[in-house]
Amino acid sequence: MNVYLQELKMYRKSLITWTIALVVLVVLILSMFPAIAKDAQLLNKLLSAFPEGIQKALGLTTLDLSTVLGFYSFVFIYVLLVGSIQAMNLGTSILSAEVRERTADFLLVKPINRSRIITYKLLAALTNIAITNVVYILAAKLMMDIVKKAPYDTKAFFLVTFTLLFLQLYFIAFGIAVSVFFKKIRTVLPISLAAVFGFYIIYLLNQTLHDAKLSYVTPFAYFEPAYIVSNVQYDVTYVAVAVGFFTVFTIVSYGIYTKKDIPAI
Amino acid sequence: MHIIEINQLTKYYGKSRGIVDVSFNVEEGEIFGFIGPNGAGKSTTIRTLLALIYPTSGSAKIFGKDCIQYGPEIRREIGYLPSEVFYYDNMKVLDVLKYSASFYNKDCKERLYELADIMDLDLNRKVNDLSYGNKKKVGIVQGLLHSPKLIILDEPTSGLDPLMQQKFFDLIHEENKKGATILFSSHILNEVQKLCHRVAIIKEGKIIKVEDIETLKQSNYKKFRIDMTDTITDTYFDVEGVTNLSIHDQHVTFLFSGDINVIISQLSQKRLKNLIVEEPTLDEIFMHYYVKEA
Repeated sequence: MNVYLQELKMYRKSLITWTIALVVLVVLILSMFPAIAKDAQLLNKLLSAFPEGIQKALGLTTLDLSTVLGFYSFVFIYVLLVGSIQAMNLGTSILSAEVRERTADFLLVKPINRSRIITYKLLAALTNIAITNVVYILAAKLMMDIVKKAPYDTKAFFLVTFTLLFLQLYFIAFGIAVSVFFKKIRTVLPISLAAVFGFYIIYLLNQTLHDAKLSYVTPFAYFEPAYIVSNVQYDVTYVAVAVGFFTVFTIVSYGIYTKKDIPAI
Repeated sequence: MHIIEINQLTKYYGKSRGIVDVSFNVEEGEIFGFIGPNGAGKSTTIRTLLALIYPTSGSAKIFGKDCIQYGPEIRREIGYLPSEVFYYDNMKVLDVLKYSASFYNKDCKERLYELADIMDLDLNRKVNDLSYGNKKKVGIVQGLLHSPKLIILDEPTSGLDPLMQQKFFDLIHEENKKGATILFSSHILNEVQKLCHRVAIIKEGKIIKVEDIETLKQSNYKKFRIDMTDTITDTYFDVEGVTNLSIHDQHVTFLFSGDINVIISQLSQKRLKNLIVEEPTLDEIFMHYYVKEA
């Protein structure tokens, strides 16, 4: 329990910063909606003139930008990107920080086994993500209701919004799994940016390629806002894949970290 | 009972050697010195005992239990002070120490303040505002605050001023009197000689010798450096106990072990410009060991 509380304290600042960033992002984006909705007809027409490949890459084929939900789902990818970087940072850093900050010799000689340390740290990371999501959802819902012109499907809104949580869970687990393979990680951010944008680029490519196998590789393909808005449900196969990856990453992390040599300072 | 029992412990980092076939025991209540030059494998041995790294082969027991398998249980009764201390930068010293104490199922508060007082440590400062020596003090307090039965010190005195070193040694003596066993790693022979009952000497990953400190003191080597007024032949120093003799014109160095009066009376027959008698470095002692083995 002490490790859990300690980790919450250690990441409090970063939690506040990232949460504010996400809230500011959604507020800014949604505050543009009234202006865009006014010219939505024009915008839709303009966008439909784009080559089909680009339209698909942007996810425009099924989303209607003149509705608040369509607009939200269209821009939601930016929220996902920021949230993913937050989660990947947190995941990659939470175990590796002890070696980076050279505190491993303090923590790991305490009467606590390494599995426990991972568990507490994982729980602390999940708590951070949970707090981020609660605050974000409240802010997004409030903002939606402020800028909406007509009623929208609340269930679809929540389904789209919850994918932030799912993607963050994926990146927490992925980040931890990546970090246990490194002897020492000097800076976390390049790794998390590379991972998140790497997956994002694969996702963009696959918007035109439509390769089913490739879509399992990138978590951004699991919860397609356009699919969720039109079907008001998740694609079960992808949910299963996401859960599978999360489980595998977590097992790998425990397996390797508990057997790993901690490098001397 | 052996407090520490190391049995053919071997650790390779990939292909590079850490330690090879290290075996020795540390008995209850003793202060056991562990000496060797940098890179000899002292830290590797200690880090294996603490399950920070896993042995390639061999095993070690602490309190009669395997140090890997029963690691968390064993570590309840171990206090460890690493050679370089680092703590969570943004925390206050008191919070670091309280965090440390929270891992042990006992009330360490009183001891915490007592130790901080002895070491003259300001508990309200932030860790990243501390000097190296002050961080070391934090290390000492966090290593001792739970009154461990086994105290492992890895080159603990670096960065401490002489006064603090003395306080620290007093503290260790006191813990030892109260029944704690101490494993003390160092590359400073003098330090070990003052404090320890027995020593193990390690070089290039292997234990060269485990010896009583009394025996080591009897083979008490002094290093002589002399500037003579005249050049001198090496037969002049053909005295029992002189080793590693080297003569460059008027400049002479050698190691001497034996009755100090013999060598002094020999030297008094010549006019000297300068005479320095000092503790030989560990390497010079080791060199002597190798000469003896060869």
